[in-house]
Amino acid sequence: MALLVLTGAATGLVGSLLGLGGGVFLVPLLTLALHVPIRAAIAASLISVIATASASAAVNLNRGLVNMRLGLVLEVATSVGGLAGGLTAARLTQHQLFVAFGLTLGVMGVVMAARSGRRNVISDLAVDPGRLGGRLQEGASTYVYRVRRLPFGLFASLIAGAVSGLLGVGGGIVKVPVLNAFCGIPIRAAAATSTFMIGVTAAASAFIYFSRGDVALPLTTAVAIGALPASLLGASLSDRLRARSLKVMMAVVLLAVGARMALEGM
Amino acid sequence: MPERGLERAVEVVLGIGLLASGLLLTGGLALGRFAPQRWGIIALMATPAMRLVVLTVGLLRERDWIFAAVSLWILGVLGSSLWVALRIAAGR
Repeated sequence: MALLVLTGAATGLVGSLLGLGGGVFLVPLLTLALHVPIRAAIAASLISVIATASASAAVNLNRGLVNMRLGLVLEVATSVGGLAGGLTAARLTQHQLFVAFGLTLGVMGVVMAARSGRRNVISDLAVDPGRLGGRLQEGASTYVYRVRRLPFGLFASLIAGAVSGLLGVGGGIVKVPVLNAFCGIPIRAAAATSTFMIGVTAAASAFIYFSRGDVALPLTTAVAIGALPASLLGASLSDRLRARSLKVMMAVVLLAVGARMALEGM
Repeated sequence: MPERGLERAVEVVLGIGLLASGLLLTGGLALGRFAPQRWGIIALMATPAMRLVVLTVGLLRERDWIFAAVSLWILGVLGSSLWVALRIAAGR
């Protein structure tokens, strides 16, 4: 039981630091290391993702990092993606899904690493951030950011929604890098907005898993109890890390998870 | 409701949901009882849904019709997922 609490805490900590739900680490850890059946692992992961995302979102809202309107717009695509995912999944084998997802993450990891030194902020406060952009406070400085290539962000959110229910993840691992690297959102705002969204994405799938009786007790309870305080800690610590460090961490996570998924699919 | 007030309201809802579920889950696990654990998980699943309700109401009060409509759409998707879940549960 202690091992399950610790597993939930570790994935919650890393997830909340990077704006993920942590499901992308939790499902393989539960299935491969702790030999939990896949459906129970996905159900436990979805509940843990809700805990991590809600705790991180509460901390990030307090800091003014969450862009609620942008989150809402992207959530529309995510919800459609959730429905489309169920249809697409029937046409692809699990191996094809893993290879495609793994390669996509790998490419995103390389893009994140290459762009780790670039910033998406504008120092001139007179610049209008537009309807979906926002302002970001970092220490004593305030910056403006504008949203670029929104259709690409919507497409990424659609894909994130599709993989969410299939793999028991929140989809942050797709959304955060795309929002940062292609849509002009600073990494902290991208991560905070992602955690704000993925609680809803995971809840939509979690209802179904819960009603089917796939939420195993006390396994899920132990994982969620670990994830809750660790996520609050992770979200608080993310403020102390430099934006570049967060991007490099994200790139490493993308490359590692992408390689593992591609290998599993081969 | 000004933007900061709406953020604060959503933050409070998330905090209440997390506190309630945390207490139920911890108490249930410590006592070895499944009922509080089940209610803790239900409280956790309800937390993002409740924050969406609060956000929708806030946007309607702000007369931000476009974003309120967007929020209502997502609430509809979440509601349909809940409806499917209840049908599955009723059939078990």
